[in-house]
Amino acid sequence: MLNGLGSLRTLSIIGLFGVLGFSSAFASEPPASDEPGSVSVRMYQLEGSLPSEDPNSSQWDTVPGSEFNLAPQVHWPPRIQEVTVKSVKVKGVHNGQELVILVEYADPTEDAADAAALEFMVGDKPSHFAHGQEMLQVEGGPVNIWFWKNESGKAVDMSAKGFKTLETQPHQDVQAKGVWQNGTWKVVFSRLLKTEDGQDVQVEEGEWRNVAFAFWDGAVVDGLVKEKGGQKAISTWWYIRAEPSADNSVFGWVILGLVLAAAFELVIVRKLRKGQSV
Amino acid sequence: MKGPIISGAIILAGVFIFLKFILPLVTAPLPASLIYLYLALALSGIMIYGTMSAPSLEAMMGPIFRFLSGKGQTGAGQMARLAVLVMFPLLVGWQTYSRLVPSDLPPAENRTIHPAPPGEFVGLSNPYPKTPENIMMGKGLYAAYCSPCHGANYDGKGPAAPGFNPPPANFSDPGTIAQLQEAYLFWRIKKGGVGLPVEGMPWKSAMPRWEVELPEEFIWKIIMGEYDGAHQSPRTWEEEEE
Repeated sequence: MLNGLGSLRTLSIIGLFGVLGFSSAFASEPPASDEPGSVSVRMYQLEGSLPSEDPNSSQWDTVPGSEFNLAPQVHWPPRIQEVTVKSVKVKGVHNGQELVILVEYADPTEDAADAAALEFMVGDKPSHFAHGQEMLQVEGGPVNIWFWKNESGKAVDMSAKGFKTLETQPHQDVQAKGVWQNGTWKVVFSRLLKTEDGQDVQVEEGEWRNVAFAFWDGAVVDGLVKEKGGQKAISTWWYIRAEPSADNSVFGWVILGLVLAAAFELVIVRKLRKGQSV
Repeated sequence: MKGPIISGAIILAGVFIFLKFILPLVTAPLPASLIYLYLALALSGIMIYGTMSAPSLEAMMGPIFRFLSGKGQTGAGQMARLAVLVMFPLLVGWQTYSRLVPSDLPPAENRTIHPAPPGEFVGLSNPYPKTPENIMMGKGLYAAYCSPCHGANYDGKGPAAPGFNPPPANFSDPGTIAQLQEAYLFWRIKKGGVGLPVEGMPWKSAMPRWEVELPEEFIWKIIMGEYDGAHQSPRTWEEEEE
């Protein structure tokens, strides 16, 4: 009943059972982060038009947000030890074509030099969060910065790869609008998910990218703007992604797996009942 | 309850219990993937042993085949066979789903906190004597340059700390500078976060590259002040040799 070829098949069957059983038993979830606060921004998919012009749109109430602590910029000169903006709430939405990111943060006064910026890694090489500054043992990539300032009322699409390399891009792809109310800034940045510009971050649905934040309190104290240039509130890198559309093809593959497994069983049992080797 | 199947199951269970529960009593817990690998090796051994001869093959596989064929089964046997035949496709379906469904979590970060330093920093020793004056100067420099992140109490809880990911090191924790030599701290302070190798994820570190702002003398004295303030001692070559 059990010849050599049959033994091999038998081993295959047992191996399949074994691998499935063991891999199920040891399938483990990545450990949960014990750090406080959020680690990522999810840009949720909405149908139709997005609230790209309206930071107070009721559409923002329909999506969950994230919150990140900020630090005074003490990484490189000119440093600052105390900043106004201590944390930022972030929400994101997209419709498969365009994305909009809302940043909301406390700033007790509205000032002309108030400003906000989002920073993204561009390409596959990791970029240092500080304007893509040079790393000594790792070849880094550039960053794409979306900068909004209250007095201009618009966004500037910028690039940098190292200190003193920050420049306005020849091709501008980002829009922004800010509204200050009762000690809170709400600023929306919008852009297409993908652009033709190689200096821009390209956003693929379902793909995690890196994002960092920076904010300036433009209040004038003793005749000087309180926070400007390198003196700002910053974050280091966090994650962001455009949430993918529901992928129902998974269920097709599951059904195929069920059918194949059942057919496999049927063949085995029929052969065994006929007294053949398997 | 004899036979190769029962024996094999007992061996596998024994290997699992040993690796999962007994081994961690004397060493670090094994990762699940390694336990899985060892169990797969044990299973392979059992299979090879059980298929060495025709009688042993019959002894091991015969009961399985008779069980699957369902011949002569009644009552509980029939139910058990039915359960196996139903469970197997369901297991395959579940595995297919769990492998294909897109992950909802950000990428896992396996950042090495204390990666190996470049060769030129290995074995350096602090050229300044540990005099009260030098330690005092080091603490003053620490307060000016390091405490905004690493904290006035050397605990990594400076006013800037909550905004950074990864967080600044807590020097009072015995797992940080107490595990390192002064030469290692000299490298980390001098070259900063951007000096880390790829496994240290330098692109995330806010640690300044202090060599562009501070002379080496200041860095060595800061190290002295750090150890003294955090009530820790540097790891030394003498300890290594012991």
